[in-house]
Amino acid sequence: MSAIEVKNLHKAFGDLKAVDGVSFDVQQGEIFSLLGPNGAGKTTTISMLSCLLRPDQGDALVMGHSIKADQMGVKSVLGVVPQEIALYNDLSARENLTFWGKMYGLRGAPLKQRVDEVLEIIGLTERAKDRVGKYSGGMKRRVNIGVALLHKPQVIYMDEPTVGIDPQSRRNILDSVVALKNQGMTVLYTTHYMEEAQELSDHIAIMDTGKVIAYGTNAELVKIVGQMDRITLTVSTDGGRVAEAWKVVKGVKQVKAEDGTLVVLAEDSNQVLPRLFEAASTQGTRITSVTIQEPNLEAVFLHLTGKALRD
Amino acid sequence: MKIFDIALKDLTRSFRSVFAVLFMFVIPLVVTGMFYVMFGGMADSGTGFSLPQTNVVIANLDEGGSGFDMAMSQFPADANIQSMGDMIVYTLQQDNLADLMQVTLVDSAEAARSAVDAQEAGVAVIIPADFSAQFSDLEGQAVLEVYQDPTLILGPAIVRSVLNQYMDGISGAKIAVNVALAQTGSGDPAFIGQVVEAYLTATEATRDPAALLEVRAPAAGETEEVPLLLRIIGPIMGGMMVFYAFYTGTATAETLLQEDEMGTLPRLFTTPTTQATILGGKLLAVLLTVTIQVIVLLTLGALIFGINWGSLGSILLFSAGTILVASAFGVFVNSLLKSTKQGGIVFGGVLTFTGMIGMMPIFVFSNPSATIDTISLLVPQGWAIHGLLQSMQGAATGNLLLTMLVMLAWSVAFFGIGVWRFQKRFA
Repeated sequence: MSAIEVKNLHKAFGDLKAVDGVSFDVQQGEIFSLLGPNGAGKTTTISMLSCLLRPDQGDALVMGHSIKADQMGVKSVLGVVPQEIALYNDLSARENLTFWGKMYGLRGAPLKQRVDEVLEIIGLTERAKDRVGKYSGGMKRRVNIGVALLHKPQVIYMDEPTVGIDPQSRRNILDSVVALKNQGMTVLYTTHYMEEAQELSDHIAIMDTGKVIAYGTNAELVKIVGQMDRITLTVSTDGGRVAEAWKVVKGVKQVKAEDGTLVVLAEDSNQVLPRLFEAASTQGTRITSVTIQEPNLEAVFLHLTGKALRD
Repeated sequence: MKIFDIALKDLTRSFRSVFAVLFMFVIPLVVTGMFYVMFGGMADSGTGFSLPQTNVVIANLDEGGSGFDMAMSQFPADANIQSMGDMIVYTLQQDNLADLMQVTLVDSAEAARSAVDAQEAGVAVIIPADFSAQFSDLEGQAVLEVYQDPTLILGPAIVRSVLNQYMDGISGAKIAVNVALAQTGSGDPAFIGQVVEAYLTATEATRDPAALLEVRAPAAGETEEVPLLLRIIGPIMGGMMVFYAFYTGTATAETLLQEDEMGTLPRLFTTPTTQATILGGKLLAVLLTVTIQVIVLLTLGALIFGINWGSLGSILLFSAGTILVASAFGVFVNSLLKSTKQGGIVFGGVLTFTGMIGMMPIFVFSNPSATIDTISLLVPQGWAIHGLLQSMQGAATGNLLLTMLVMLAWSVAFFGIGVWRFQKRFA
């Protein structure tokens, strides 16, 4: 059964089509990732599904509630973890959770009990009385997630929750996402980190320029690029000129120069790599480093759009 | 219920901010305290407040005139009054004015001006040779010269005030003579003298110099004698309260913009809470914050400085009006802003400008006029000050109600526009 059914959503800001006919289904109890670079339309999609923005066209059902016709219904089954930390720095973690719990309709003893539970979940029971402004970035992120869990929502949106945090906090958040799924929650997760989508997701929708350009499981998406390897090289001369020359090398499917490195999609790196060295030598260029990666979502995105995920 | 939760959260945040508490309570009290010390200090409050004494030099060059003696009976025989100039000197040397001015006589206008230039005196009064003659001549114009130290304000203003009232009395007598002459056609000096005497007796101003300086508040009924210090400090404290109440209203309403930028407002909109409840909670917080500020400042003003704000009914009326209009003004101003970055300019500019205009009746006390009162009423702060002064002067409830109604009208307009703009913005 679908937890979220998105049907042909459109949203434009002036001439900019931020979301252009997006449709997808999220099954109950799964982690569903929206993967795409900055500006792909992920946050706008989440904002419409949170009832913060009204779609120009299309609709979506969240646990059967229409985001157009039954916004209170949507909001009551939903927990939202915004991209930026949205907390009151001058209140303690407990005060923040208590306030947000009240906004979700909790009162009295159940509220206090749930606040205690959430503090336990996010591991901040000992620091509950400290003002959030004194917390580290990772601790704030945990409270930010905790707020969305207070009313035990059926669906939780997490909009790039790991942006700008240290590896340890990131690991904690990824583990907590899996824990939420294990508790039966449906998680809609947006990220521009391919590794996160790959690790967490049951299904992934890849977005670019406001559209879903690919949809499926990780395995299904990787099949799109076949068994192509991703070879990342650095060279001693102008990367753009070298890229042009390598496009005609046998076995090379795609070449892209980015930030002083060259990214090559090739069917078999073992066969192609010697040819690249030879072509480089002919041009008087030295290859100074080589990294080979097996097919992944980054390669899928490169294959579909001609650009890297972090562009 | 959620509306109170939101308001309570905002109140908690406001009162945890040292900056906010400083502006809400500490600065108004400290500024008033500075005025209090400046104007006499707490130690003097029991014995009364003393204005600084001004050194006045008078060059009385008046040679007298045929008609000056018409008011002689108004002065004691041993005063040796020979001219109108002598009358002025006699008046300014009265014991009742001794605390306010130290009078010295000099022989020439130059000597009088030199004394001021050398800062030996604050004010020089130069009575010209033809002063009495001009007064006696029904077509003439008797003119005094007042030469003052430009760095002084209060002392010269007092001297000018005494002289103005004295000259008003003289002008009045002259008008009375003109009217009597026109009606009777008699030019008999004895008759003219009788007219002047009758006029001066009626006014009594020249015989009682102390009356020239007495400040009387229009009172609805019996009022207690209030020390002059409190009559000055009360409006200043009230002015500070009004000024900073508007500041608090604007700063608290700014949390709408802050929360929008912090992301907590959009997050609130993702909870099952209506937009009306969220905005209502935020506006209630503004109202409650200003209310607490006004109550605390009124109480502390009464306890620390002994200020009598007026009767309970009038305090309630002007306080309610001030709270409403300060809160509504804050909501209105913030609804015009795009971001908190613009807030600094607004706080520094609009609030200071409108606040100073509104407080003009309090701080331009050396030259109060109807024009200044009217200008101050162009801004909402002016109406709050108006209500405050009415309450302190024991104005009739009807007058205060009228002021309250005007403040209510301002409030409705400001709230209406502000809420409409915010609703549109967050729709």
